[in-house]
Amino acid sequence: MNLTAIWVFTAFIIASLLVTWWAAVRTRSTGDFYTAGGKITDLQNGLALAGDFMSAATFLGLTGLAFMGGADALLFAIGGTVGWAVILFIFADRLRNLGRYTFADVVAYRLHPERLRILAAVGTLIVAIPYLIAQMVGAGGLFQTLFALPYGLAVLIVGTLMTVYVALGGMLATTWVQIIKAVLLLTGGTALAVMALLPFGFDMNEMFARAAGIHPLGERILAPGGLYRDPVSVISLALAFIGGTAGLPHVLMRFFTVPDARQARKSIGYAVLFIGYFMGLTVIIGFAAIVLLAGETQYLDATGRMAGGANMTAVYLARQTGGEAFFGFISAVAFATILAVVSGILLSASASVAHDLYTRVIRRGNVSDRQEMYVSRVATVAIGAIAIGLSILFRNLNIGVISALVLAIAASVNFPVLILALFWPGLTTRGALLGGSAGLIVVIVLTVLSPTIWVSVLGHEEAIYPYAYPTLFSMLIAFAVTIAISMADRSRRADVDRGAYPAQLIRSELGQPV
Amino acid sequence: MSRRGELLNDADFRRLLHRRSRLRWGLAGFLTAAYLSYGLAGLYAPALLATPLPGAAITWSLVLGYAIIVLGIACSIGYVWQVNRIIAPLQKKIAGEWR
Repeated sequence: MNLTAIWVFTAFIIASLLVTWWAAVRTRSTGDFYTAGGKITDLQNGLALAGDFMSAATFLGLTGLAFMGGADALLFAIGGTVGWAVILFIFADRLRNLGRYTFADVVAYRLHPERLRILAAVGTLIVAIPYLIAQMVGAGGLFQTLFALPYGLAVLIVGTLMTVYVALGGMLATTWVQIIKAVLLLTGGTALAVMALLPFGFDMNEMFARAAGIHPLGERILAPGGLYRDPVSVISLALAFIGGTAGLPHVLMRFFTVPDARQARKSIGYAVLFIGYFMGLTVIIGFAAIVLLAGETQYLDATGRMAGGANMTAVYLARQTGGEAFFGFISAVAFATILAVVSGILLSASASVAHDLYTRVIRRGNVSDRQEMYVSRVATVAIGAIAIGLSILFRNLNIGVISALVLAIAASVNFPVLILALFWPGLTTRGALLGGSAGLIVVIVLTVLSPTIWVSVLGHEEAIYPYAYPTLFSMLIAFAVTIAISMADRSRRADVDRGAYPAQLIRSELGQPV
Repeated sequence: MSRRGELLNDADFRRLLHRRSRLRWGLAGFLTAAYLSYGLAGLYAPALLATPLPGAAITWSLVLGYAIIVLGIACSIGYVWQVNRIIAPLQKKIAGEWR
């Protein structure tokens, strides 16, 4: 075991438990539990939002992509930055002005409240639970490779800690754990980039030139085409980044933790800054690793490939440039990253069950604040336990496929309904329900028929749907079905839905009803 | 006409909606277009992006990629600045008048 890793990680756990205890004392109402009482400041929330997005998958995965495929990895870094900027322009103000705890508050504002909350809860859980499992399976695998920690034990540690943070400390604890981790990750990433560029005297041109000289793809790693060769995949990737991020329930929930629209706006502005910086840096780290890890056989397995997969690039680079201590630090930061991200996802899932399904749909709002708090804590523990169980059961899950699928679902179910609810007066309840369902079905069917499942998992010769990602088609179909059904909708509910748009517009633009 | 109807026809409120939507969709469209053009240029004009800068190894692909990241950050800062400076005061004025 690595001593530095143990020290840093123990320090993080102690700090996070102290934060949880501090937050638990201050969490007295459902408003505190779901949104930290709306008292988070813009810079704090910006760090937490960026932290939600900068998961271990982003950090380790993107370094690995640049290491393998070169310049095409920039499509991800650009996607993250542009996606968040678009969320800022389109959603920040209106969402903050209309919602209270979850994004369901916003889509249920003028549409049939119970039906839309059910749709939003399905959209939340079907994103949150697979996402939780993918992250936890990733954590288990990572720590098996790094520290020879048994897989089940790693999953159990992550699962128990996240459940404790969320059940006791609610959004306040979750936010501060995320802030601590974001600062650690930004510092760690910067340090790794400095260490990686030091051997080149910080001469970027020299670094890129030598990377092209060593990599099997040669000069082609500095040019496009290393990862993608067809327009459908490129456009789907772009749409998944823009619509998928804007449809992630744990991200949307953070819009409500600040006092007003002004702070929401500024916090997402900060998030774009941190995300752009971090993802841009990560790609550089990947390129530097091409040179610095070349010929270092101790990082390879028996077949000559990188032990533990290309995702290990960043941690091996840390060992190569800074020795055992730096390696331990970066590994501990990766573990902290996973913990902070799963906590946010768990909170969004339990808020959806307790607030949207139990309080609003089943009990129609006839629940005391104390009862709702109780239900949300029970839901947290239950979902935490389910996630631990499923992660141990499905340890061979392909994390990459699940992560891409989750983003595609968010982009094809939550995003179309949300954007049309906010900006299109013609949207009706029926249109939203059928359009959201259509998006979900198309995502799942296309994913099963795509090369990742049809060929790799089911063993067929050729994929029926030849592209890597479904988002281009699934998102367009969701929009088309929602709009067509809404326009054809002659029900009485449809008149109510359309008639309530002006009141919603005023509230969303002025922040107060008239 | 109802109070709500009056507000919807109010000149200031209409100006607020117009300014906001121009900024919102203008910037969102611009950045999305920049991202997609970069991605598609990689497919249809790969030679162009693979060209190195004069006397260097760094290619246009890398330079433009990072330029779009910087552009995204700059647009976000510009948006927050523009809304806080121009749109928010107008919104506050209207909100005060229609309380």
